[in-house]
Amino acid sequence: MASAISYRPTRPASQLGRSESDASSHPSLKNAQAGAQQERTSLSSRDRFPQSSLALKNLPVPSRRQGQLRSQYPLDNPENHVEYILVASFDIDRGSIMEHQYPGPISGDESMLAELMLPDQAHVRSQDWTIFFLHKDTSVEDAAREQRKKRRRRRRKKKEMGENGNTGEWSPQDGSDELEDIEDELIGDEDLESTEDEGEDEAEGPPLIYVLNLVNTKQDQTVKRGAIVKAMAICTRHSFLHIYKPLLLLALEEYFRAPRLETLASLYNAVNSMDLSLMPRLTPLERHILQASDAKDMFVEKFSQMIQQRMAEDMQRNSGSSQQSNASMPKYQLPRDTHEFESRVLYNGIPVPIKVPVAVTPETVGDFSLIKLISTFSEPHKTAPQPFTVHSHLTTSGPYTHPIIVLINALLTQKRIIFLGHNQPSGSVAEAVLAACALASGGILKGFTRHAFPYTDLTKIDDLLKVPGFIAGVTNPAFAHKPEWWDLLCDLPTGRMKISHKIEGAPVTEGLRYFQQGGPGAISSNGKSYSNGAPNGSHHSGSDDPSGDTAFMESVLSSISNRHGEAVLRMKFRSWVHRFTLLSATFEEIVYGASALHIGASEIDEDRFGYGVSGHGLVWPDEASRTREIQVQVGRIEGWRQSRSYFSLVRDLASQWERGESVRGIDLGFQVERLRGLKVGEAGAGEIYRAVSRAIERAGVEFDDPDFDNSSIDSLDETDSDDHDEDVLIKARRIARRSKARYDVINQLLCFLPESVGGLFYLSLGLFHKDVGVRMAVVGCLERIMAHEAGRHFWATLGRFAKLAFFRVKREGEGRVT
Amino acid sequence: MGSGISKILDKIFGNKEMRLLMLGLDAAGKTTILYNLKLEQDVTTIPTVGFNVETVTYKNTKFNVWDVGGQDKIRPLWRHYFSGTQGLVFVIDSSDRDRLDEARTELARIIQDREMKDALLLVFANKQDVPGALRPDELSRRLKLDDIAKNHIWKVEPSCATTGEGIFEGLAWLGNNVKIPAK
Repeated sequence: MASAISYRPTRPASQLGRSESDASSHPSLKNAQAGAQQERTSLSSRDRFPQSSLALKNLPVPSRRQGQLRSQYPLDNPENHVEYILVASFDIDRGSIMEHQYPGPISGDESMLAELMLPDQAHVRSQDWTIFFLHKDTSVEDAAREQRKKRRRRRRKKKEMGENGNTGEWSPQDGSDELEDIEDELIGDEDLESTEDEGEDEAEGPPLIYVLNLVNTKQDQTVKRGAIVKAMAICTRHSFLHIYKPLLLLALEEYFRAPRLETLASLYNAVNSMDLSLMPRLTPLERHILQASDAKDMFVEKFSQMIQQRMAEDMQRNSGSSQQSNASMPKYQLPRDTHEFESRVLYNGIPVPIKVPVAVTPETVGDFSLIKLISTFSEPHKTAPQPFTVHSHLTTSGPYTHPIIVLINALLTQKRIIFLGHNQPSGSVAEAVLAACALASGGILKGFTRHAFPYTDLTKIDDLLKVPGFIAGVTNPAFAHKPEWWDLLCDLPTGRMKISHKIEGAPVTEGLRYFQQGGPGAISSNGKSYSNGAPNGSHHSGSDDPSGDTAFMESVLSSISNRHGEAVLRMKFRSWVHRFTLLSATFEEIVYGASALHIGASEIDEDRFGYGVSGHGLVWPDEASRTREIQVQVGRIEGWRQSRSYFSLVRDLASQWERGESVRGIDLGFQVERLRGLKVGEAGAGEIYRAVSRAIERAGVEFDDPDFDNSSIDSLDETDSDDHDEDVLIKARRIARRSKARYDVINQLLCFLPESVGGLFYLSLGLFHKDVGVRMAVVGCLERIMAHEAGRHFWATLGRFAKLAFFRVKREGEGRVT
Repeated sequence: MGSGISKILDKIFGNKEMRLLMLGLDAAGKTTILYNLKLEQDVTTIPTVGFNVETVTYKNTKFNVWDVGGQDKIRPLWRHYFSGTQGLVFVIDSSDRDRLDEARTELARIIQDREMKDALLLVFANKQDVPGALRPDELSRRLKLDDIAKNHIWKVEPSCATTGEGIFEGLAWLGNNVKIPAK
């Protein structure tokens, strides 16, 4: 077993895109390595640790906390917050024209931009906001990205070598070099994972430029034809572009007073001096946990560490001229709520407070409201439901499928979707488009915003129609009369959706045939022999709602009426999307034998690493209910499998696997679901608890390591006796890697235990298990979780009963030892 | 089937629906005409960014009137509004003699489009209150309507958008001449 498995990605290149072999075929790799050597020498002069080898012995055990944290927007970041400021106006003779651009002309079709900046019917309202996206690439950014990629590749390579215990190639010449490696281990790993969204984006193309635009119409009798219409836009790579709204309001007002390029310049300089450098970078798992949590101090440790790092830097800088250091030291404050980072922009002498979201998931752009979108289309459906034209991709619950489900289906299966808001400000159609993207993405699927046109008009129709599967916002009712332009029309003023009668029919696929009447997948559902289904609360079992969507929408609507808030709803849709992807994976396994959405499924099912449990994916009480649930959704699953969002997920999962991020050999989500939803019995539950405990304790240990199978709870925190065998440095590196890996495993576990479904409750039930070994394993898990930055919040919300049980079991355990 | 029956009923009671597209050079008075139709009073208008659309009922006919901005650069957009249009209302500033040729070129381009082949053509000889404004007969000659609109039913109506003069007469003419499209 041990020889066949290696933790480093030595899988055949054909299996998983970019790998070592790919890197070495890169013509510039030689240069890159030479550069790396240079970098290393220059780095070693930076002296983070004392140089003498004697001092090395006294090195504090580098725990993860002591690794440097990185900022989302470092001070020395060459990328500006805002790239361009534009001003357009409506000329009474010539129509929409671009007036000014700062710092230089944005390349591309200027008149197209000017038209977008002056939305239809801008003349009937004094103020309107719009959002649109630009797809722009510059060679400079390309070069920078290439540079980052190289760096990452180098680090990854080094990491692999380190993990393999193969340090020979980098034969340490002096202690500082070794230290370098540790440093790289600590910082570099962080770098590897925190830059991963970049890595993911690269696959889909350069990041979008988001444009926030404000247009004002001012009646003015002194000018020809009585009005001035002007618009100012901010172009940024930040998806949270709504933070610039107050500044844009001030600056456009200023521009009406002083219509000069300098007005643009002063706004540009003000927004780009915004300091976000104390906002720590989070990994995707950390972002997910933060978003799902209400705790206002979740990950506050990271903010505090950012401040400490900064203070240390300040000290160093001031030590040269130490006379007036203390007085001039700036004061740093911890955020009141770690979900938002507070900063300010000084514009025209006015300090404008800015709040930047700390955890931004993919496909979340601007400040839309899912609640608003859902309510708009739910009310008319509730009071007077209208039947849809049936389409197997879209109407998954028949002609009276909930419109929001039809919308999600349309997004998943890549249909052409138009949001029409006649007589509404263009800002409201843009918001609807952005909300729709986030709805179907759930922060998991990608490729929606890239094909979204939050606001567009008739002038762009020819270009729009070239895009396969778009999501567009318009205010011109002419679109409603052109059913050949769209597949799904969402009319905002009436809250009605319409499937075009010209929509292309769903193709017949292998999967469709499989589950059709007479197909192999149809048999069991006709048999109606599923009476042994264990009662389970987590999902539906009624046969009138086999997809569970009706029940899901009911829970969504009750959440809205109970004012649970936007974050709760986003999480609900996230888990819906997550479940849908798992369902599709199961479908693929049934029909095609395997699924790219379940990499490593076979080693999990074989329990190759000896966790004592097996199985993966979704949990069903029995075969029949599984078949039934998949059968009704075959249409949208097959439709989704042809979409961009499907392929990008497959790519994301492959690169996650390649980076070795998720726990191998056990599907934590599946096991947690089993605890929650199934009657697994005393013995079954015991196995799950032990397996979870093993996953946490073994984190970061190679599968071929002798420690792997007997890693007891505290083995690594204490100094072992076989010190002379193991070099101190290698040991330090091992410990650092293991504590970091454990941190990540606990993050993964916490993602499957959201507070909304009981948090640690189901895990804590193991404290009452009849087997003392299981009880002790659960105590161990909970202790690890308590000591974890995010886990401590989960522990805090655990019920008193469970906490008391924890301390009782722990005491018992200690009593037995002594 | 159902819509067929309601169409027959509409015929008996004389209820009609008609989609009109109102075009013309910038500052010809399109938006003023639209709001005079809708509100029967003079409104101060500013240049139209994009379009306006209003529904006006007059003598058993429901008119959906689309008014699209007339600036030089946005004229290529007009074609997107052609399909389904039963009547073209072309508005001319009768006092702006310098731009009559430009107006004729635009009008010819629109009315000769394949999608407009069945549309009625109503030309408003607008701004009749301005001294020196061209009279309708003179205007139709200058626009060469006999030539460029020879395959269409057309009429030139003298109008003054600010007072409402001629506007409803034009609309009545359209209502009387529209044929219910046989579907």
